Amino acid sequence: MSAEYYLFMLINGLSQGMLLFIVASGLSLVFGVLRVINFAHGSIYMIGAFVAYSLSTLLTGTSLASFLLLLLVVPPAIALLGFVLEVSLFRRVYREEHLLQLLLTYALVLILDNVVRMIWGGDPRNVARPEILAGSVDLMGMALPTYNVFILLVGPVIALGLWLLLYRTRAGNVIRAAVSYPDILGALGVNVSWVMTATFMLGCWLAGLGGVLVAALANVDLSIGMEKIIECFAVVVIGGLGSVGGALLGSLIIGVGITFFQLPFGRWALVFPYFVMALVLIIRPWGLFGRPER
Amino acid sequence: MKTQTVDTTRWRFTNWIAGIIVTVALFVLPFILAKFGRTGEFWIWVTTEMIINALFALSLNLILGYGGMVSFGHAAFFGVGAYTVALLMKKAGVPLYLALLSAPFTAAIAAAVIGWFCVRLIGLYFAILTLAFGQLLYMVAFQWYTFTGGDDGIHGIPRPEFLGPVNYYLLCLIIFLACFLIMRMIVNSSFGLSIRTIRENMERAKFIGINVKRYQWINFIIAGAFAGLAGGLLTELNRFAQTEFLHWSKSAEPIFASLVGGMYSLVGPVIGSTLLMFLKIVLQQLHKSMVEMWAIILGLILLLVVLFAPGGLVGIFHRLLGKTES
Repeated sequence: MSAEYYLFMLINGLSQGMLLFIVASGLSLVFGVLRVINFAHGSIYMIGAFVAYSLSTLLTGTSLASFLLLLLVVPPAIALLGFVLEVSLFRRVYREEHLLQLLLTYALVLILDNVVRMIWGGDPRNVARPEILAGSVDLMGMALPTYNVFILLVGPVIALGLWLLLYRTRAGNVIRAAVSYPDILGALGVNVSWVMTATFMLGCWLAGLGGVLVAALANVDLSIGMEKIIECFAVVVIGGLGSVGGALLGSLIIGVGITFFQLPFGRWALVFPYFVMALVLIIRPWGLFGRPER
Repeated sequence: MKTQTVDTTRWRFTNWIAGIIVTVALFVLPFILAKFGRTGEFWIWVTTEMIINALFALSLNLILGYGGMVSFGHAAFFGVGAYTVALLMKKAGVPLYLALLSAPFTAAIAAAVIGWFCVRLIGLYFAILTLAFGQLLYMVAFQWYTFTGGDDGIHGIPRPEFLGPVNYYLLCLIIFLACFLIMRMIVNSSFGLSIRTIRENMERAKFIGINVKRYQWINFIIAGAFAGLAGGLLTELNRFAQTEFLHWSKSAEPIFASLVGGMYSLVGPVIGSTLLMFLKIVLQQLHKSMVEMWAIILGLILLLVVLFAPGGLVGIFHRLLGKTES
């Protein structure tokens, strides 16, 4: 194989990784602040994809404007769903043991996934790409889909945005304080439970954004939620639960890893995320970027 | 103090009586059901599966309820047992009793390997690592087409002549009762008490000289072995093994059963798993649409239990009793 081919694969893998990062960073943020591993994060992402599909059928044409409209409208709508879920359900179990929290989110998976099945059915759907992103870019004689390049660019923008939000704004300071010292934050007069709600909504916004992006990348069906949540688990375990920087590294490892292992191993490459996840948990349970809990 | 001891002995006595009555009823049940033709046969099949699922739930409860270790990969051992029986009987022509005897052993070996890594972690990390290992096995079974048949599974597992539906039911029931009594012994032994001590206070358990990791590891292996036996029994009942047996949604089933029934007792998971399956079958018999609706109903039940009755049915029962006594 030529070097160009590997470059091509690398770019494909990176764009997969960037999409994964957008979803997984939401899961990681939510875990960091709420200390709850949200099994339903994948389902929320899936809902984002299907809502984007439905909305795109209402909009005519494949112009860039209507796609941008999806990007603007759907993630906040999903964040609103997150608001409802957090206030009505999640908030009640923060003080309970891990098992009950996990089961609550798992119950949500059962409910949300099947509500999606009832509304949209099991057929694969997609959102038409806007014309400007539908073609391909020439890269040393290889046709690279423009849309993959687009995702490759969106990922760093989101990463930068999250970094600025977390490290350069007061809201970010509050969120980071809620990760490390929630009690002291509360004593300082910050309403911690609203910080949690806001963080959960931000996580859902990211899941919704990932949903819109994937709906135009590939066909989406009922299986994408489960698939993505496992990949997200792998990502946040590799990077360290609660670490956004870790999520970025983990996403790129998983995205590029799967793409490259597909060459020699075919579908066996799908074993890769589990393998890496198990390996990291054994060697460094708190992840590459995380810190030991005690 | 004195009245309390009298109370507990009376309690124990009534428990034994109730247990014996239920056992006798379970032994009579298939003969009654057999009189009802095809529907009866269907219900014999259903109750057999209930017994097997109850065994699976019981096995998980050793680590979940008594050990306080949340495993999301328990189906791995269920699946290993299932595939052991399927492969031995279909590909090696091994008789049923030998295959059923090997199932807990292979599952125990798998649990020993996986558990050796997992018990090093606690809490959420333990849960995620068990999930990762479980899914790893699932993917291997899914991809290794020549050995496991991939997502086709392994079909047409032979069934000995004399094991009709009623006899197989009785076989499962006897195995279940034996396992129940063994687990009861384990739970009440000094080993069981140590396991519970670790659940309540790991630091303190270390302090009084309990080798926490070793105990958890052994407990993990025992639980895996019983799960493997359950998997083997289900494979022979359905006469096929499929990758779904290893999937994490299968791991979730006994967790639900334990949650709904109540975690800190032996009967809790049994009641929970039986009740959930009964509800599922009855609803699906009532209306076809319930097949799709079931997951939503199950989800709603779980939500209610998590939010309002985290002790499960046994917890509710005890609370009611506590109220009437006071």
